[in-house]
Amino acid sequence: MSALLAVNGVSKSYPGVRALDRVNLSLEAGEIHALVGENGAGKSSLIKILTGVIAPDEGEIVLGGAPMRFARPRESLAAGIAVVHQERNLIPRYSVAENMFLDRLPTRSGVVQHRQMQDDARRWLDVLELAVDPATPVRYLSVAQMQLVEIGRALSLQSKVLLLDEPTASITEHEVERLIGILRRLRDQGTAILFVSHKLEEVISLCDRITVLRDGQNTADARPLVGMSKDDIVTLMVGREAAVTELGERTATPGQCRLELSGVATAAGHEGIDLKVHAGEVVGLYGLVGAGRTELAKALLGAYPVTAGSVRVDGKPARIRNPLEALRRWRLGYVSEDRKGEGLILAHSVTRNTAITVWHRLRRAGGLIWGAIEKAYIRPLIERLDVRTPSLDQAVGNLSGGNQQKVSVAKWLAADTRILIIDEPTVGVDVRTKGYLHRLVWKLADEGTAVVLITSELAEMIQLADRIYVMNRYRVVGDIANSRDYDAMSGALMQIIQADNDRRVPPATAPENRGGKHV
Amino acid sequence: MTSSPLLARLLRIEWLPLLAMAVAAIIVLALISSSFFSTYNLFVMLRILSVTSLVALSQMVTIAIGQMNLAVGAIGGLVAILFGAMLELYGVPIPLAVLAAVGVGLACGAINGWLIAWTRINGFIITLAMLSVFTGLNYGITKSIPFYNMPQALKSAYDSYLGPVPMILFIPVLAALGVGFILNFTRAGRHMLAMGGNPAAAELAGISISRTTIFTHVLSGGLAGLAGVVAVARLGTAEPTIGADWLLASFAAPVIGGAALAGGYVSVIGTMIAVVLVILLENGLLLARTNPFYVQFFLGALILLAVMFNQWRARRVAMRVTTRRVVSP
Repeated sequence: MSALLAVNGVSKSYPGVRALDRVNLSLEAGEIHALVGENGAGKSSLIKILTGVIAPDEGEIVLGGAPMRFARPRESLAAGIAVVHQERNLIPRYSVAENMFLDRLPTRSGVVQHRQMQDDARRWLDVLELAVDPATPVRYLSVAQMQLVEIGRALSLQSKVLLLDEPTASITEHEVERLIGILRRLRDQGTAILFVSHKLEEVISLCDRITVLRDGQNTADARPLVGMSKDDIVTLMVGREAAVTELGERTATPGQCRLELSGVATAAGHEGIDLKVHAGEVVGLYGLVGAGRTELAKALLGAYPVTAGSVRVDGKPARIRNPLEALRRWRLGYVSEDRKGEGLILAHSVTRNTAITVWHRLRRAGGLIWGAIEKAYIRPLIERLDVRTPSLDQAVGNLSGGNQQKVSVAKWLAADTRILIIDEPTVGVDVRTKGYLHRLVWKLADEGTAVVLITSELAEMIQLADRIYVMNRYRVVGDIANSRDYDAMSGALMQIIQADNDRRVPPATAPENRGGKHV
Repeated sequence: MTSSPLLARLLRIEWLPLLAMAVAAIIVLALISSSFFSTYNLFVMLRILSVTSLVALSQMVTIAIGQMNLAVGAIGGLVAILFGAMLELYGVPIPLAVLAAVGVGLACGAINGWLIAWTRINGFIITLAMLSVFTGLNYGITKSIPFYNMPQALKSAYDSYLGPVPMILFIPVLAALGVGFILNFTRAGRHMLAMGGNPAAAELAGISISRTTIFTHVLSGGLAGLAGVVAVARLGTAEPTIGADWLLASFAAPVIGGAALAGGYVSVIGTMIAVVLVILLENGLLLARTNPFYVQFFLGALILLAVMFNQWRARRVAMRVTTRRVVSP
């Protein structure tokens, strides 16, 4: 079979560096093709070339037998290549339907036909089993729902070629399964799908062939995935010597109770939340999208007032009104799931981003902060976390995703918190960084921090957590010790959620956040 | 890249091209007009600098947190006439009157900041409303009539020398040093830039957005008030119209100086050089006997050119930075 979309010997150089070096990629109709590589391996450059964002220096792109040159994104779209970018590209105030059909709004004599557009949008939302009204402005959706809207937009184009860049990075296991089902169906209908992911389990279970990039070169070119193991792929990605190590065993030794919630209700809509987190313990909050996990974390920081029940920190009743009190008074920190939106100041240096939580402690006589003192304080942390940066003065926006994530974690290490809520710590980071962050979570707990882990990746949750609270629709519906046996645990967790769903009539739409203020 | 590494390195220092432009402007002006370097002309420019630099810094600090203060001129005007009234009507000693007047500026800023923090309404709207409130108070109190009888001591203090250096040179230099110091070495300054860079991230990291907003507007109001006081000393009368024409320059200088309008980055040195550049432009047009009504036109053109250059420079720098990362991961 000849390739539907072929990239032949494409190179792209930036001054002083070869981002892509004679890279090949060939996508056939009716296959799901994996593209993997570490951060900085050249995946993003390749996708930018395929979508007309940048032009290659040499090599050619052949689509359906004809050589193509895309000068801008519209041209690649018109040629039949649809893409779901890793970054969100939605207009917050526009409705779900408007966002999906932005470039092809149905009009009659110039007037946008909203009814028709919403009907069209609903068709695709139904396919994705996303229960939101197409007229809802996307800013009211959760990150995962937004992700699904973007996927819906790409599907609605019904293109011959579909590029998905980390489509599962911020959606839950359950939604991933749904998406996988849809992708298989599209494949069987003859669509060529390029699936970019860091999650190798997904790649192995879903994809037919694999292309691997390392330092801008192919280490695998359309190799059949049959018979390949995760380790094989990792070796191709990072080289044999650097293959990931296993996390090993862990026995939690919980100390005193650091954080205790009893009967907590919040303005975000939580009800009757009971949970306890002890020093030295990694406690997972697991749930589907919209279960209220991130909102609970934010409520603890004061974004949503606690309307009933009690929050206790180290046994003392805590009324936390804002993140400042949480950090200073209760030594509670929160690593945001949205590192670009809430975690980092992209235009500022590594130093400033890391030291931001400790300026109040670093000031010397007269309240002054000296750059040298600041750097001396954070340098060990940056080294400990192995942040790859040319200098501490580098703007974090110029670092790779994995290194950005390390910086957003580093500032909480600097803050020396006693309770740390870590929300989606490894979204969009490469295998090596992921392993690193996983070990770090355990290490923090071993050093006596009470860690609350929120992750949508079931494997990560089962690997890291000591105990898991299951959340569903803004309640805690289960509390189980983690056996770290993936099959048993995933079954048990799903069963708890399913049982809770069966008990209650499902709401028509996802719960909306009530009375929340911006944090 | 075709350009030399030296040029690229120089491009990274954001205020250097501005300085080059200012030096070039000075050379050109000296060549076309023999009166440019006259003591009289230098003093004319220095007098303008003494006020405009404070106005620019007043706006710059609000830009640093990603807001703006449309009431800069209104605060300056209100402070100016209250300062004049204290001196003329009540015979308040000058040092005391200066302190009280700056205090009024700080208070006006505190009102702005507190309203923004408390209502969470966009600072643009709040300061627009307060512009009208302060100006209305100003005109209501004065009925648009200036206070003419300023004590001679005020004028002579303004024109005095400290050794060989004219007193009025100290005003912009000290103000710039002060603001630069706050932004770089104090916690409050760090909080301002962090908030400007990303308010959500700053708040989650334990920075109080409310406190930082209020602090910034107090600082801005204080600088605007000081500008009002200096303007009275410069003119020798306390005119109600002081501040009415400050708005354009207040934004032009920080922006020409390389500030990110969205917040998170400002350059004190860049802003100060930009103020000098704007003054040189006006002075040059005057010396070249251009129709003075065209001054606004050229000022607008200067803003556009400078901002376009800044953008081009930022792209160049960003490209090199990206390159570096990939080379040495």
